[in-house]
Amino acid sequence: MDQLQQFIRRGKFYTYTLLVLGNISLIGIWWIASELLNLDILIIVGILVAGALLVPLLIVHLVSTIFIQPLKFIWQAVLYIAPETSSVSAPELHNIKYARELVTNLVNHVYQLADVGKQVAETATEQANDLSANFIANSLPIPLIVLDKNENILFANNTFLEYIGTKKEDTTGQNVYSRLDLSFESNDTLDSWLNEIKEKSVTASRSWERVKLTLPGEGIPQSKLLDLVAYYNKENPAGYETMLILFDRTKAYSQDDQAISFVALAVHELRTPLTMLRGYIEALDDELDGKVNEELSGFLQKTTASAGQLATFVNNILNVAQVEDDQMVLKLKEEKWQDVLPATLKDLGLRASVRGITIKANVSTDLPPVGLDRVCMYEVISNLIDNAIKYSGQGKEIIVSSQLTKDGLVETTVQDNGVGIPESAIPHIFDKFYRDHHNRSQIGGTGLGLFLCKTFIKAHGGNIWVQSKEGEGSTFGFTLVPYKNLAEDLKTNNNEGITTNAHGWIKNHSLYRR
Amino acid sequence: MDKQTLLNGKKILCIEDELFIGELYSRALTKAGYDVTVELDGQKGLELAQTDQFDIILLDLMIPTITGIDVLRQLRDKSKTPELKAKIIITTNLEQRDEVKADIEKQADGYIVKANITPRELAEFLNSID
Repeated sequence: MDQLQQFIRRGKFYTYTLLVLGNISLIGIWWIASELLNLDILIIVGILVAGALLVPLLIVHLVSTIFIQPLKFIWQAVLYIAPETSSVSAPELHNIKYARELVTNLVNHVYQLADVGKQVAETATEQANDLSANFIANSLPIPLIVLDKNENILFANNTFLEYIGTKKEDTTGQNVYSRLDLSFESNDTLDSWLNEIKEKSVTASRSWERVKLTLPGEGIPQSKLLDLVAYYNKENPAGYETMLILFDRTKAYSQDDQAISFVALAVHELRTPLTMLRGYIEALDDELDGKVNEELSGFLQKTTASAGQLATFVNNILNVAQVEDDQMVLKLKEEKWQDVLPATLKDLGLRASVRGITIKANVSTDLPPVGLDRVCMYEVISNLIDNAIKYSGQGKEIIVSSQLTKDGLVETTVQDNGVGIPESAIPHIFDKFYRDHHNRSQIGGTGLGLFLCKTFIKAHGGNIWVQSKEGEGSTFGFTLVPYKNLAEDLKTNNNEGITTNAHGWIKNHSLYRR
Repeated sequence: MDKQTLLNGKKILCIEDELFIGELYSRALTKAGYDVTVELDGQKGLELAQTDQFDIILLDLMIPTITGIDVLRQLRDKSKTPELKAKIIITTNLEQRDEVKADIEKQADGYIVKANITPRELAEFLNSID
């Protein structure tokens, strides 16, 4: 304002000075003309009139130049920043003669105002974009969340909040693994994928099928089955690094569960008479002990062994159904194999002995505790022994050995001297429903036993294989992993054992790491 | 009753609707020295269990009037049943879904598939958990 007042004051001063000077010059002209030159009065009047006309014109011209020039500069500056007159060039401020400081300041103000205006417009556009993105994400009928680089939830849409039954304030800012208890079918989890791509990729996407989501809650835990899609973009300017989209498939996937309930019911109906059969055979055996001849007692033993075999078979049916429907859950506990294996073999001994076959066990006493599910391992051993008995032919001995391998695994082999397996059949021997063509007509079976053995051993983290030559017998072998290694792999320190399933569902173990 | 039978003084309640299985368990467990009561009905079984006179309760899941799971829940619900001294062992031939199994595991002391165990083995198992 000082500059403006200064400018006005200076303008007034120039104007008054010019007026005074003009009048003085008129008086001067009159004096020169009348006193010195003694001109005729008419000529003097003529000169004075002309002077009186010219002097104000000169004054007006000078004054207007002083006031109008700055205005011109400002006007040019305004036109320069106006979007519709982009051809106007910026005023050259160094050419300003009058009120340079004031004009320079004013022009700069104009520029600043224009800049602010532009920023406001940009922010408004951004906000509008944000709003529309939010609106789209929130109206999307698919659960969606966005994570930052620490895997904390930046944004969760309404569908997501409804889906997992939580509130926005309990979700935003939380670690995704604390909000989403996901179990995957393999080691290839969201967590491991993110860790991997963060190191080597800028953008990446990935999907998983049949992911199990366990929802927190009272009593029986609720779970959902879903397909998960993840999109990763390291360079997202807003820090939206990972986007997760959940496709609920609970209904589709659990239609298979209807099937299992039928199998479960069928198995129940088979098991009930089987329970009675085994019970009454035992009662008979009890009552007749020492009272019947050897032949009759042999009959009883064969009936007992057959009932045991039937029980194994019924369990096979149920287990296959459960494996197929991801319902099989294994609880690996720390166990001594040198105790478990002989106890199981003792239980199965009768099945061999009624056929005149002996099981010879050769179990190393120096084995580390392994992680195993007793029920499942019983099924593995009984299937391998039943097979060895079935295909023993003339062979009268089954040799079971167990020792520590140089890799630190507990290896068990079941060897028979029976009919062996043709080379062409070996690659398929662990496939479901696969049965060796040569033997199909002579020896019964469903082709479920070895499939289950493989599935269970894999779920224990081990391997299973076969070595065989036709006519010379077969050796089936499998490994079990020391409990210590399993626990380390899963980074879990609890003593409640490790939960896995036949397809090896692994907890997204970031949960344990945090 | 066999002359050699020695009572071990332990009382078992067997809630089991299958007559033959009840008979077999009763026989084998009595022989092993237990005092066995067999109850066919779920509701009556629950009421008997709540009298807290048993050391072991064998509970089938598929039983009339009230399911085994409900019996289990009510026995473990402190507002309905004071804490029992009995160990509760589920005896069933029905395979459960994961969630139900997990729920049972939390509340029961044992879980037995009847077809996989003979009555004599059951007696041995019960001796071992004392």
